[in-house]
Amino acid sequence: MTLKTTVIGAYPKIGEGLDGQELRRALHRRDRGEISDADLDKVYDEVTRSTIGEIEAAGVDVVNDGQIRWDDLLAPFARTWSGVEPGPLERFYDNNTYYRQPVITGPIVTDGRSLVRDFTFARGVAKAQLKAAVPGPLTFATLTSRDDHFGSLEDRVLAAADATAREIRGLKDAGARMVDIEDPAVVASPRHIELAREAYGRLADAAHALALVSYFFPPDAVLESLASFPVAAIAIDVRSRDTTAFERLDAFRDKYVLLGVVDARNTRLETAAEVAGYAERALKLVPLDHLRLAPTTSLEYLPRDIARAKLAVLVEGARLVTGEKVPA
Amino acid sequence: MTQNILPTTTVGSFGKPDYLTKARAQQARGKLGATELEELERKATVEWIRRQEEIGLDVLVDGEMYRGDMVAYFAERLEGFKIGGLVRSYGNRYYHKPVIAGRVSRPKAMTVGWFEYSQSLTSKPVKGMLTGPYTLLDWSYNEAYPTRRDAVLALAEIVRDEARDLERAGAKYIQIDEPAIHARPEEIEIAIEAMGIVTAGLSAKTISHICYGDFAAIYPQVLDLPVDQLDLAMANYGYRWLDLFDRNPFTKELAIGIVDVHAHETETVDVAAEGIRKGLRYVRAENLWPHPDCGLKTRTVDECVEKCVAVVEATKIVRKELAKVPA
Repeated sequence: MTLKTTVIGAYPKIGEGLDGQELRRALHRRDRGEISDADLDKVYDEVTRSTIGEIEAAGVDVVNDGQIRWDDLLAPFARTWSGVEPGPLERFYDNNTYYRQPVITGPIVTDGRSLVRDFTFARGVAKAQLKAAVPGPLTFATLTSRDDHFGSLEDRVLAAADATAREIRGLKDAGARMVDIEDPAVVASPRHIELAREAYGRLADAAHALALVSYFFPPDAVLESLASFPVAAIAIDVRSRDTTAFERLDAFRDKYVLLGVVDARNTRLETAAEVAGYAERALKLVPLDHLRLAPTTSLEYLPRDIARAKLAVLVEGARLVTGEKVPA
Repeated sequence: MTQNILPTTTVGSFGKPDYLTKARAQQARGKLGATELEELERKATVEWIRRQEEIGLDVLVDGEMYRGDMVAYFAERLEGFKIGGLVRSYGNRYYHKPVIAGRVSRPKAMTVGWFEYSQSLTSKPVKGMLTGPYTLLDWSYNEAYPTRRDAVLALAEIVRDEARDLERAGAKYIQIDEPAIHARPEEIEIAIEAMGIVTAGLSAKTISHICYGDFAAIYPQVLDLPVDQLDLAMANYGYRWLDLFDRNPFTKELAIGIVDVHAHETETVDVAAEGIRKGLRYVRAENLWPHPDCGLKTRTVDECVEKCVAVVEATKIVRKELAKVPA
């Protein structure tokens, strides 16, 4: 049996050197009116295609589309949902990376197809198992800068959850069997854990293979609560801060655990033995077929050459655990 | 030292004139020499000193015509750092995020020459401008030090040496910016410890600029940061940080941001003046410093001038109001 690997979130949109920077150039040219939105779309598609290829070439088992079109985690929905507009820039948690805070102007309405076009394209490209991703409702609602419509955080979270459920159903209809719900607020703001659980209750009917993806902060304060969320998998970051999670992973006994073991926010490259060491610790409490190894978060926090090296060591570490041959 | 109540200043950077932006791009492509570029940086610095004097600002800055990123500038001049690959900050903006690859050391002073040059151009005081040790660490990758604290404390010694050199060169105001200080609120003690190393023994007025993040998460602990003045973005946040001072009184000098640096439009003088009045509810006029929310480097030269004029004119209005109030 193999120990499977996966990715989380966004992949670097550009690489080093001129060849790797076609998207950056295309965006500048679009801004100057030198190319059309349709031309830019072609570049987005090509970069998505090469990104999926790069993740697959590293030997990752479950891939995503690298979120090449996403300016930030909340952007896909802040851009498409009625009743929501992209607002002021703010730092994204403890990163020197920015996002546009959503502004709520009215009831949230969506046709549930915000990500269907991109997923369908990625599905036509990917050879490995492909998963989709959506921003989580607690993160979306707590990072809102202004709300002119809902009377409380609770109402805002539940409305975001209902809209997210429609998006997940749309992805499911487009063939997505696995959907990551990226929701760092669940671990960043543990005081809202019961509200989050209620929100996830509304997502539960939408698809079977949902993963609650947390990162940046350890799950320590909410770990046992997360175990009762109606999702198939939980992703946790065991590298960004000290954590007691390794000793408590048996709480997730009926779930898949996506263990963030390769630090996606530091250039220092782990060794395969180090990666395998984290896996061995988890395997004391999680069965091999329920464990997946992953980067801690989006690899977009790294330059592209380092991201590629991190994926290689992730796969190498996973293979080391089961004695499998590393792909050349 | 300035004698005015409500002394006016700015946070540090100004927009670069087009000729300098082009020259920097040419230099990056190897089509312009370092000496030629520095001549243009000096020209732009002279222009900004003159503009600040004309606008009537009280405490000036050199405008950072010779800097790009506030961390990379120092990383490029310190041993132990290497310049990393491109990382996106937002939209289509990328920067070379530095890597701490070995023990850090400072071969020579990094900002003193520019301080001396800009101070020689004016009789008004010019601030010495540094990036703080916590931000230098937080906005770099750390491959060399076992813990974040170890790296921050090593960087603190470097920033301390630079601050002492600035003071020896005549700086009466030294600003040590820590915009990342609230990145990890649980590490505020590390930032405070590091700043203690930087400012110990300095007689210059010390200032720290903090912006764009959850200030409430580090208040009131941040009052223990060993500097004389905290310099805060307020306009962009609708002055909501002032509410924190109701429960825990603010105990330092406050440089208060009264114009938003991320908006192209400039606030009216009346709106900016109202920002100063809000600050006066918590801080006495001699300890309240009106200024823009943050560095103005993302604005055009004309927009920078407009924003600074709004700060100075708003301050004049409030000074007049205060003069009418019997002591």
